[in-house]
Amino acid sequence: MEPMSLTGNRPDEPPFESLMFNEEIQRLIALPPAPVGNASSFTAILELGPTQAMELLHWPEPSESSNPYVNSVDDGAVLFAPTSSANTGYGANCLAFSAGENGSSPGASSASSPKVKKEIVPYSASDWSTWTHPAVSDTAPESKVPGSTKRKVRDQLDKGSEKKKKNESSQDAEALPYVHVRARRGQATDSHSLAERARREKINARMKLLQELVPGCNMITGTALVLDEIINHVQSLQRQVELLSMKLAAVNPQIDFNLDSIFTPENASLSDGNFPVPMTWSDIQIGGSMEIYQQQGHFPSFQHSVWVKEEGSSFVMPEASHITSISSANGVPLDSRQLKMEM
Amino acid sequence: MDSNNFFHDLHADTSLESSRKKRRKIEAESHSSETEIKWKSESAQRIYAVKLVEALQRTSSQNAPPAPSEAAGGRVVRDVADRVLAMAAKGRTRWSRAILASRLRLTMLRRHRKVKKASGSASRPRKPLPTAAEDRKNRLPAVGNRVKILSRLVPGCKGIPVTNLLEEAGDYIAALQMQVRAMTALTEIISVSQGDRLGSSSSSQA
Repeated sequence: MEPMSLTGNRPDEPPFESLMFNEEIQRLIALPPAPVGNASSFTAILELGPTQAMELLHWPEPSESSNPYVNSVDDGAVLFAPTSSANTGYGANCLAFSAGENGSSPGASSASSPKVKKEIVPYSASDWSTWTHPAVSDTAPESKVPGSTKRKVRDQLDKGSEKKKKNESSQDAEALPYVHVRARRGQATDSHSLAERARREKINARMKLLQELVPGCNMITGTALVLDEIINHVQSLQRQVELLSMKLAAVNPQIDFNLDSIFTPENASLSDGNFPVPMTWSDIQIGGSMEIYQQQGHFPSFQHSVWVKEEGSSFVMPEASHITSISSANGVPLDSRQLKMEM
Repeated sequence: MDSNNFFHDLHADTSLESSRKKRRKIEAESHSSETEIKWKSESAQRIYAVKLVEALQRTSSQNAPPAPSEAAGGRVVRDVADRVLAMAAKGRTRWSRAILASRLRLTMLRRHRKVKKASGSASRPRKPLPTAAEDRKNRLPAVGNRVKILSRLVPGCKGIPVTNLLEEAGDYIAALQMQVRAMTALTEIISVSQGDRLGSSSSSQA
């Protein structure tokens, strides 16, 4: 069979072919962003004959990009990954091994994976772990209607699992052409385990994001405890919101009537000073926002003055003159600094 | 096998790998930073607070005739705040859509839900991937329980898979943090300004 014969040829060809191959790979990398309407024949895209494609299939182990495409020649259908937003949803569905998350294509993927495995068998002689392909061949035509994004999952005897992360990031950001799942040494490589592992790694990535979000979660190891912290944090935040809303409600009835007049009487009484104050709103860019608020003539003076003051006091001492000029231009004194002082 | 080693080396050295790793890192960072930036930016906070005040004005002008009770006033404010927060999310997250939708269906569904709860609805979110679990972590009741609790806490996330739930929870937490910051500042400003107003009025009267 071809693969077996080519295996013998590998040591001879690579030095020469690798150059050609890298170009192909780079071209392939450039390709995915451009949506490929009908991705049925990758060979057309590669601009190679089928036999050449087969060669590429079998010897370029290092290249992950072309292999999935190449392998599917056998299936007669290649799914490329136009990165259009329309595909994102389908691509997410196609992340077959997140089976059960999106119900559309896992059936298709599982249907095709047995078929794909037959091709994997002869290849395993080369000591590479099995390849798995999510759906493609049979259901490809129907599923490709919107120029769908398909993910190719491929295993290698590699220990890194970082490629897997592209999975979740691509799902979240925009559709990437492919996803690579690494099978760790000694781990099962059937599609179910792969799916499970892919899903598990996605979950771990999200957990890490959550850990960064929730203060004090970095030290904790273990999903359960981290989840505990997250739950506590959410509950405390919700309780804070309730408390604050009650406070606001207590304060509110007195506000609504005299919003405009609230600050005007205060304006005369309060003196502006240049105090360095702790800021609630940090990193405020005065320039742009000042223009924004000045331009909104219809703005109720309450908010207007509030924000002017907020922005004024956000600048520490050196900007005091600037703030003074701004506030005098608006006819609003710098109450906020005093307010902040009292905080 | 020699070919095996050869390919391992090639694999390690290919620039393709590094470029892909970079891409992956950038996208992972962009994903998390998207959430962060959306809810952490000062402009977002300001916009939220402003809209909140406007909404509160509107509701208080509406409610002034009926004269809401003290406790209900707090609830009203909280609902308004949550709704404004959900609006700020621009409908891209599940919890925001759930908050906005719940307002429409609130009264109707509450009755139905009470009936269902009385009948003991034990419908729990299905366990993700019940078969072929390579890793047993999710099977531990500890994690599963907490996932359920979390799904109850985040609005509109009852029966969704864990991955999506964690994503929603992240966005929700960031939004809540922004909400707390905004409302804290708002109450400070308002209460102090009111204190000043009252103080000045009393001093002027004196």
